[in-house]
Amino acid sequence: MSTTTVRLESTRDLEALREELRKQRDPNAKQVRICLGTGCTAKGAIRVFERFQEAARQSDDATSVIGAKCTGCHGFCERGPIVVVDPGNLFYSNVKEEDVPEIWRESVIGGRLLERLLYQDEANGRVAKTPEEIPFYRAQQRVVLAMNGVIDPRSIDDYLVHGGYAALAKALDTMTPDQVIDEVTRSGLRGRGGGGFPTGKKWRSARDAHGEPRYVIANGDEGDPGAFMDRSLMEGCPHAVIEGMIIGAYAIGSTQGYIYVRNEYPLAVEHLTIAINQARELGLLGQNILGSGLDFDIRINRGGGAFVCGESTALMASLEGRPGEPRAKYIHTVESGLHGKPSLLNNVETWANIPAIILRGADWFASMGTAKSKGTKVFSLVGKVRHTGLVEVPMGMTLRQIIYDIGGGIRDGKRFKAVQTGGPSGGCIPAEYLDEPVDFDRLTELGSMMGSGGMIVMDEETCMPSVARYFIQFLKEESCGKCTPCREGIAQMLDILNRITRGKGRPDDLQSLRTLAELLEDTALCALGKTAAYPVLSTIRYFQEEYDAHIHERHCPAKVCAGMFRYVINEETCRGCGLCAKKCPIHGITGERKRPHVIDQVRCTHCGTCFEVCPFAGVMKV
Amino acid sequence: MPTVTIDGKACPAQVGETILEVARRNGIWIPTLCHHAALEPYAACRLCVVEIDRGGWWQVVTSCNYPVRGDLTVRVQSERAIRDRQGVIQLMLARSPDSPELRELAARMGVFGTPYPKVTESQRNCILCGLCVRVCEERIGASAISLVGRGVERAVAAPFRLASEDCIGCGACAAICPVGTIVVRFHPTEVEISPFKTRVKLRRCARCGEPLASELAARAMAQRGGPTVVELLQDEVHCSRCKRKELAQELTATLPTPRYHEPAASGTDGQQRSVRRD
Repeated sequence: MSTTTVRLESTRDLEALREELRKQRDPNAKQVRICLGTGCTAKGAIRVFERFQEAARQSDDATSVIGAKCTGCHGFCERGPIVVVDPGNLFYSNVKEEDVPEIWRESVIGGRLLERLLYQDEANGRVAKTPEEIPFYRAQQRVVLAMNGVIDPRSIDDYLVHGGYAALAKALDTMTPDQVIDEVTRSGLRGRGGGGFPTGKKWRSARDAHGEPRYVIANGDEGDPGAFMDRSLMEGCPHAVIEGMIIGAYAIGSTQGYIYVRNEYPLAVEHLTIAINQARELGLLGQNILGSGLDFDIRINRGGGAFVCGESTALMASLEGRPGEPRAKYIHTVESGLHGKPSLLNNVETWANIPAIILRGADWFASMGTAKSKGTKVFSLVGKVRHTGLVEVPMGMTLRQIIYDIGGGIRDGKRFKAVQTGGPSGGCIPAEYLDEPVDFDRLTELGSMMGSGGMIVMDEETCMPSVARYFIQFLKEESCGKCTPCREGIAQMLDILNRITRGKGRPDDLQSLRTLAELLEDTALCALGKTAAYPVLSTIRYFQEEYDAHIHERHCPAKVCAGMFRYVINEETCRGCGLCAKKCPIHGITGERKRPHVIDQVRCTHCGTCFEVCPFAGVMKV
Repeated sequence: MPTVTIDGKACPAQVGETILEVARRNGIWIPTLCHHAALEPYAACRLCVVEIDRGGWWQVVTSCNYPVRGDLTVRVQSERAIRDRQGVIQLMLARSPDSPELRELAARMGVFGTPYPKVTESQRNCILCGLCVRVCEERIGASAISLVGRGVERAVAAPFRLASEDCIGCGACAAICPVGTIVVRFHPTEVEISPFKTRVKLRRCARCGEPLASELAARAMAQRGGPTVVELLQDEVHCSRCKRKELAQELTATLPTPRYHEPAASGTDGQQRSVRRD
């Protein structure tokens, strides 16, 4: 898609090309940006995009340049498909195919607002024209996601116009590899994949390691339930990841890079492939990049769907063509990783931070965040929160700000109960810690972790032992089975949790869970097993009374676990319509018409049918 | 030369050695299951965990693959290390409660039962140590079997759980299996490696009919050379006992009759040897 296939021989060539591309752009161009991220696509954005393209083709307005372009994820996936009209940055959400002609006529050509498709604040009824006016975006600070939703991820020209590869040029032109590493170290950037290891320190070890060749690897095997930060990055701004990797290769002296993407992300693979080919054509990948003498190329490897392949050693085993199973890291992967050679593996989001750090400097980056956690972090905010989606905030923002200011609070007026951070190995943080700042160390102190940035909000109707059970079930299925404690220990924990949530818990079950948790933390081979017990431990730590109620009273306070609460009919709201009695599979509900009905508690199987079918909310859980 | 101090005993060590190697050389027992001196460390069973001093805190590591790089202080018999090892074998016992070998090892570790119920299924007590898979790959070079499936579904099998086309029927997997999961069965003309369903043509002793080796294993061994295995490829092969008999018969036919009144060089033993003829 590049307008030029001339190979860039120097950084001066790059800047000249950038200037030329910028000159070609009309600042007053009328343009529609349609999000074609996975979320919006699932809601029909492709048809919307095609209709806009059609409209642009048929447009006979000769006075200005008009176009429709696809972009990556805007983050507000809940409101997709999202369409933004320039000039004016008018933000339309929930756009349907049939809305296209109207947007085109009124907004693109006519320059008028189309109020019914604008975001309206439920609280005060105020209408927001641009993203900046929407509370979901107002508190965000977008560094990594800055170009998501702005540029066309399939166009390297677009990336160049917005300052792409300028960081690479700066590094190659004005910095030595050591200076690059120092800059990353001074920025305070820590690994965004979960561990939070200082990135600069890792780069330094990789540079100091002995052995050739050296490898640079991007971990895009995002597998946490409900997390899609890396996917949106790879889909929406693939060049940022690639540029970060080239800078990393320059810093440690690598010639070959790999991007490991899970196969469930076809769009990410497609966009990365396009981006790599475009970078190769321009000479930003390959031999003698920008005349600097640096040789570096990138290959994409698709994962086979194993969660554990997000673990660095398992990922490398998978890259080598072996089963994705972890191995001991007593010798670090920076010294002996892929094929036993020095390997620098960072998460996709970590790589995407690099260009901004090099370009704008370590001091700028370190000015954001807390004492030990710098910069911003992308979270996928999901669960029982009103506005779900992808958010990027500076480190140190409180959980309350993220959940209430950005997320708009809990859905349906329910009460907040806990937020689960850090993926399956993370923990649940209760309401009393909502004002804690979100950074690596504080989350760990609270018994959870940063992880890769999943944030699942839970309301009062969530049963915490069931939550623990869900994550342990997930980990049981995703354990590779290599080491005994992970394979057998997680299965034992699941057995206990199954018992507890079925009303068959025993008084010593909590102690058994703690013993197993300790055993796993000590003896499991990789981080998956070592942290597998965190969801259990953190829920016991903050919600022990719920476990006690399950075990000792055979009662589920959140009224989730079948058989551990009763369904009763509220005499005041029941109108005696008889629907429940008709639907009850055991005919256990009796009553005269237009009179309150009664459930036979002895025969009730707790299937919940009456609760589901009652049109008057007359069936209660007690 | 680094010193590895294990439970207070100073042991000289080489850089690159594992803690387990140093411990064994110095007569310190650490239980192992997935470890074998002829194979690369695998560190999957986690039975060999010990504590090492990380300067202010103690880290639990597997001794079978933790490399010595400098002086190291190790605790094998600390409360935590013992508790962790016992916890691991309890989990194994829950999986394979009927394995006599596992129970014997557990007893040696002071574990006489498990608090855990049986929640995972094992094939004939298999504890998934992976020794069979690794010996087949690393030593035999056949890679006929591998670990398939994930988590508790994991099992040792040939591709698609069918009889393997690459198995040479050598029986190394059965020989190395610590819990007797893998068995070599002899049929009239075939050798079977169970439970992998593989059957390979069997060579028997031409004289007494004793099973000798699988045809393919004999060929593979002969290819690697060595005078003792080359004869395995001959058309008519005898088993070692028959060969001993043949040798003895040849010797007795050519040697003069022994004179019993002379004292034998090796005493009564020598007498016995010289009179035994059959």
